[in-house]
Amino acid sequence: MISRWLLDNAQAIFDATKRTKDHLMQFAFLMMLLGVLLAIPGWLAQIWFGMQSVVPAEAIHSEILIFLDDQTDVESRIELEVKLENYEFIKSVTFVSKNDALINLSKEDGLSGIEELIDQNPLPDAFRVRFDTRAGAEAEQTFVDQLRLDDRVQSLKYYPSTRIRYSTLVDTLGFLGIAFSALTIIGVLMAVFLASAADVVDDRQRIELYTLLGASQRYIKRPYLYRASLMGFMSGTVACIVIIMANKFSSEIVVQNLQALNPEFEELPVDNRVIISIYITSVLASWIGAERAVCHRLKLLN
Amino acid sequence: MIEFDGVGKIYPGSRTALANVTFRLAPGEMAFLTGHSGAGKSTLLRLLLRLETATTGSVRVAGTDLDSLSGKKLARYRRRVGVVFQDPNLEDDLTIYDNVALPLRIAGFSEVDIPKRVKAALSRVDLADQINSSPRYLSGGQQQRVGIARAIVHRPALLVADEPTGNLDPDLSARVMRMFTKFQQLGVTILVATHERAVVESLPFRRLVIENGILISDGMKKID
Repeated sequence: MISRWLLDNAQAIFDATKRTKDHLMQFAFLMMLLGVLLAIPGWLAQIWFGMQSVVPAEAIHSEILIFLDDQTDVESRIELEVKLENYEFIKSVTFVSKNDALINLSKEDGLSGIEELIDQNPLPDAFRVRFDTRAGAEAEQTFVDQLRLDDRVQSLKYYPSTRIRYSTLVDTLGFLGIAFSALTIIGVLMAVFLASAADVVDDRQRIELYTLLGASQRYIKRPYLYRASLMGFMSGTVACIVIIMANKFSSEIVVQNLQALNPEFEELPVDNRVIISIYITSVLASWIGAERAVCHRLKLLN
Repeated sequence: MIEFDGVGKIYPGSRTALANVTFRLAPGEMAFLTGHSGAGKSTLLRLLLRLETATTGSVRVAGTDLDSLSGKKLARYRRRVGVVFQDPNLEDDLTIYDNVALPLRIAGFSEVDIPKRVKAALSRVDLADQINSSPRYLSGGQQQRVGIARAIVHRPALLVADEPTGNLDPDLSARVMRMFTKFQQLGVTILVATHERAVVESLPFRRLVIENGILISDGMKKID
């Protein structure tokens, strides 16, 4: 039973490889075309993730520096810290004691003899609170306003992220980006789908012959699914190569601008999520395209 | 073996391909199905192969109503039927051996049995010496014989042929018909659709004549 299954699969792989070899030019052309098409949304996603990784966190995450009232005792301070941590849009809460603040200040300003100053330290204890990216401008502002009313808070400084400061522009660009990507992805999926379907339509007679010889649907489908998977994998590889090349090219264009944000910047890092998604999308779309086309053909014969 | 009982087939657009066709074919019997092009012969064969379903009436083979078959049962039924086409429909990518072995592989025969059966089938059609050739290098008559070997290799109980001599010269046609006669003598039920009068009249078998989808004659008797 198992050896039969292995033989059938080996035969299907052989058929798929042979057919690919016999129609090599057609296969190569489709592979390149689909690869380039797949690379478009992939490259957009790569730019998005790549930029996120090189842009400093302050540009993405808003921050609040909360200076505590001198009279705030340890218990009240911990209570406030818990309150901050429990707020749903907070990414991190860091306590900066007045002594640490003074040490940091002395390092930045080159002051020496810090031990002498500690007794006369005029700085308050503080929390450095960082929002996560889900919080909108309105939610952040409401939270800040609430904090201002808190007795334990002497004063606070709110630093909205670049994303929040330019939220209207970011929202518009984000919407356009998502819409364009969605349209491109739909177009690419349809192209992959149709390419797989065309492969099956070419083989109408063969499918009818196998049906008449009593082949099971699984037996008939196998070579097409293997071939479609191969096409998907190869197209995905072409897409990844195009993305990596395009990434190098676009990195060279923006290198000077990004070095202003991050002096160590050399190239946008290629995101593994993009590569994996490209492979999954291309193999899956090819596979489903072939599966549906063969099923449609078989339905007419059964 | 084959029972057509009041079978009608109407295609979309109200085109009637078959109307109230009734006949029976006993096991081991051979018959010709004749009629002009478009008379309904191919539709009748497609019903027998369950590529179509009847609009009215029933088609039964060995007691099984073909309408009731689907999925695995339908595939199993088709494995018991041999089919010969006008165009032998061979796979150019495969050798003669692999083309003939196809029904056996599909039916799950072991790789030990397959060579013996393939050689036996090719011997019956006098092509044992071409076993490793490609169909591309065979003549039309040889290709048709490979198609016949593929149809009988799994020893089907029923053999259906659709214009098997359509592309052959008279000598080859006669040879192919002699092969069918031999299979019939071995107990295979055979239904051959053909519009070639000479082929039909040269052999002493039952004749079903179909015209405009109606069975107008069965055997030598005219149906009223």
